[in-house]
Order: sequence, then C-alpha cells, then structure tokens
Amino acid sequence: MSEMLASKPKGHIEVRNFSLSYDSIEGPVQAVTDTQIHVNPGEFVSIVGPSGCGKSTLLNAVAGFLKPTTGIVTVDGERVNGPSAERGMVFQQYSLFPWKTVRENVEFGLKMRGMARSQRERAARTLLGLAGLEAFEKHYPEKLSGGMKQRVGIVRALATGPKVLLLDEPFGALDAQTRVIMQQILTNMWQRLKISVLFVTHDIDEAIFLSDRVYCMTARPGSIKAEIPIPLERPRQQSMMMSSEFLALRRGLMSLIREESLKAMGGEINDLGMQGLNIELHGHSLADVI
Amino acid sequence: MPATAIAEAGPAPAVTPPVTPPSFGTLTLRWYRLNQGRLRATAIGVISLITFLLVWHLLTTYRVVFFVRFTNVPSPLAVYASFAKAIHDPRFLMHIVLSCRRIFIGFSLAAVVGVPLGLIMGRFKLVHEIIFPVAEVLRPIPAIAWVPMAIMLWPTNEQSIVFITFLGSFFPILVNTLHGMSLVDPVLVRAAQCLGARERSIFREVYFPASLPHIFTGLTIGMGVAWVSLIAAEMISGQYGIGYFTWEAYSLVQYADIALGMIAIGVLGLGSSLLIRGAGHLVMPWRSTR
Repeated sequence: MSEMLASKPKGHIEVRNFSLSYDSIEGPVQAVTDTQIHVNPGEFVSIVGPSGCGKSTLLNAVAGFLKPTTGIVTVDGERVNGPSAERGMVFQQYSLFPWKTVRENVEFGLKMRGMARSQRERAARTLLGLAGLEAFEKHYPEKLSGGMKQRVGIVRALATGPKVLLLDEPFGALDAQTRVIMQQILTNMWQRLKISVLFVTHDIDEAIFLSDRVYCMTARPGSIKAEIPIPLERPRQQSMMMSSEFLALRRGLMSLIREESLKAMGGEINDLGMQGLNIELHGHSLADVI
Repeated sequence: MPATAIAEAGPAPAVTPPVTPPSFGTLTLRWYRLNQGRLRATAIGVISLITFLLVWHLLTTYRVVFFVRFTNVPSPLAVYASFAKAIHDPRFLMHIVLSCRRIFIGFSLAAVVGVPLGLIMGRFKLVHEIIFPVAEVLRPIPAIAWVPMAIMLWPTNEQSIVFITFLGSFFPILVNTLHGMSLVDPVLVRAAQCLGARERSIFREVYFPASLPHIFTGLTIGMGVAWVSLIAAEMISGQYGIGYFTWEAYSLVQYADIALGMIAIGVLGLGSSLLIRGAGHLVMPWRSTR
C-alpha cells in the first residue's frame, strides 16, 4: 500500500491519428475519426460531448476492448492491444460481481495476479478503509446504495495499482447529492495515488470541477472539437462552482456542446426523424401539428 | 418531525437507554405482528388441505356419480389403512428405494453431463453450432416415447429405465444452462478482463456463477421431468419401483394402493425439489439474503 501511495506519477496516455469504424449493412460507419488526445502522467482529463459522439468508444479503445481502425493507442510508450490490469476501469453500471462480497470484489484483481489469500484480504481491507467501506466488507453488492456500489467499483479498479484509471460516466446513475460526494472522493483518491485519469461524462459541471483539461468532442463521427485547460486551483471547493471563472468556463463549454448537439439532432431530423414523424402523424406534416 | 430526524441520524445509543426489558406478552405480540403474513398463509394452507381431504371423503363415502364416477375410488381412510400396512411391508419400501435410486443415478448423470455441456456450448460457438441442432431435434421427443428404443438399446430393464430418467432431466438442464450463459452481462466480463482475468478465470469467476441461478432452474425443472419419465417407464417396463407398484395395484384391483402410490410419488417429487432448492441456497448465498 505505502509503496503504491508514494509512487511517482505514471501513466502517459497517447492516442494518435485515431479513427474507429464498424461494418453495417449500408457499409462502414465512422464512429470516431481523426482524433488525437493525450493524458500526461498524473493528469486528470475529461472528455465531454453530445450523446453518441463516440466518447465511450474512445475510452473503450484506451481500455483495450476496441481496436482502432487506424492510428495507435499507447500507455507509457507501450501499445495497447487488449484489456489489462494496468488500466483500471469504472463503469456506469457499477458492474460489481453480485456473487462476491464487497471485499471479494475488491480482492478480485489481486487474486488474478496470484496474490495469497491472507495478503490480498489485508490489502482489500486497507483500501476499503480508505473509502469508508470497511463496515460493509461482508455485504453483497445488492445490499448497497448506488454511491456505495460505485465507491467499491473505484476501489476495485485501484486495488491492483493501475497506471491509469478510466471512468465511463461513473456517476451518471447517481442522484445529485451523492454525485457531489463521489466527485470529492474521486479527487482525493486521485491526488493520493497520483495516477492519470481519463474521465468520460456528459455533465459539463462535473468535467470542469474535476479536470485539469477537458476535451470537447464533435457530433458523430466524433473528433476533438476543442481542448480546454481548466486553470482552477486545487484543492477545489464546491463553492468554486459559483465563481465567475468557473461560470465563464462553463458558458464556453456549454455553447460548444450545444452547437454539436443541435448538429447531431438536426442531422437525425433531416435523415430519419421527419419520415418517422410523418408515419406517426398519419400523413399530417409537422407544421400542421405544431 | 423530531422523531424521524433522530431515526435518520443513525445510531444514538445514549438517547434511549432500555428501562425494562419488554414483557413476554409484548414480545409475543411483536412476533405475531412480524410474522402475520406467514402465519396467515400457513393457516389458510392447512384449512385448504383439510377441505380437500373432507371433500374427497364425502365424494367417496356417498359414491357420487356426476360425470366422473367415485364408485370405486378409495376413501382417505382406506388409503390411510393401506399406508399403515405398507410401511411395515419391506416390498413397498423396496419399491420406493429403487425408484429413488433410479432418480438419483439418472438425474445425477444428466446434471454431470448437461451443465458442463451447456457451459461449453455457451462459451464456444462452434460446439454450440454442432450440438444445438441435434439437441433441438431430440428435445421435443417425450421421454415416454423413448421406452421402446431404450429397451432395444440397453441390455437390462434397469438400465433402460435409468436412461429414460436421464433423458427426461437432461434437456431442461442443458437448455437452462445455455440460457443462463446467454444472459451473462458482458460488462461483468469486461470488468474481469480489466482486472487481469484470463479466459479460464473468466469462465470460473464470471460465466459459471452468473449462470448458476438458471442452472438451478434447470435442475428443478429437470427433477420434475425426471419423476414424470421414471414413473412412465416403470409403469411400462418395470418390475419394481413406485410407478410399477401403482400400476400393479390397478391390475390387482387394490384400489387403495393406487392412491397410496400416487401420494408417495407426489411426496417424493416434492421432497426432491426441496432438496434442490436447499442446495441452491447453499451454493448461491448472495441470492438467499434477499
């Protein structure tokens, strides 16, 4: 544990000339195109964008679940070709193993590494203690609240001491209050462990509040529309969200995303939406109804 | 409001020191209130069973003929009398023991073959593609229809009866295991991969436990069908067994024994499903805490 906590910043993520397309009956569909991003060691970077822009696709490629069609993904200079415990991942659906207790869930990565039972039990207890979950170590995940489940999810991903932590809308299913607390917990853990974080969200406030840098993606096919440094000082307080600096950043990002969201929706309405509507309206045009 | 405020604040032991332990009366009352639902269900269940026996008694004592004829149907008392005689009869006990042994062998074989086969078919597409069509063709054939074929296939009657019992329970077990495998949440598999799990560990730690609830559904259904098949096979080709006992009773015009045989089959079937349910609770502790 102590070795893990004191380690130097690590986990330099590089995504270069990245594109990803998949086959469909109408030919290849471009999900992400011509994308370059990077995360410096120890940096907290978020990706925001309209829904369906391919931000999760990009994250899954960094995790090693998806192979880029063109381009390359590296972590600390090593090419990513498949999932590994070096890149911890936290999912929106928590994805805890329901048949394992909280502690067994946290132990899982260590067990896969072949660590002896007593040793990994001790490690898991320590980590659960840091997250304030030691009282729940013997509970099954089903009994936990959403916020607790996700805390276990984060602790489980960190237990193996990964170089980077990838989070795919991890707080999307939580209520507003829990979300704020979880953001605080994540920040604390990140600062303590000094690992790199790549965080996907559609919540602009969350992205600004947590990140050193935010990438904003375009509508599908997704690519990087803008890269916004967040110069807010740390430690960050909840009250900062009312500061003029924060609000200015928020306004900027907001307008970028709105542009893209409208583009995404507009495209759909032109191609498909109108036909669909006409069928539903039994031949009346949209203008008639409005 | 203050009452709820205290409740939400969590443990506050100093505020309410227990003055006197609650009296026996209060405890009984509380226990009653907590278990009211279950007591009610039990009471109604007992009444319903008594009513069933009473109706049976009346129909047979007055030899009612109303579309169906109760002229020769034994009364509950006659059945009880033959039960009292039968439990001291080693031949009756041997019938029961033999039937149970056939179920045990046939069902165990079906579970030992069906569960692993289902797991492997669920994991490896090629195995699925090879075996599934054959299974689909054989599955709709009722086990009873296999009796002549089984007699040809196996040198002894005993083996053919066990084979039919095996067939009856094999398909429900296989199909439900396959179903369980197809429902495994892919996010859990990805979570395991991110924690360093390889193919073998994923099979053991994710696919198998995730399929267990459906495997147990298959075992429960399989046990039911095993009894159906066994009794049919014993009636047609047996020399011993509770199915044979029931059929023999009809041939020998011992009507009370017919009902006794039927009730014995019902009790044995119920007992074996309870055993499987108990095993399920033991194997899946995360589900029995619900």
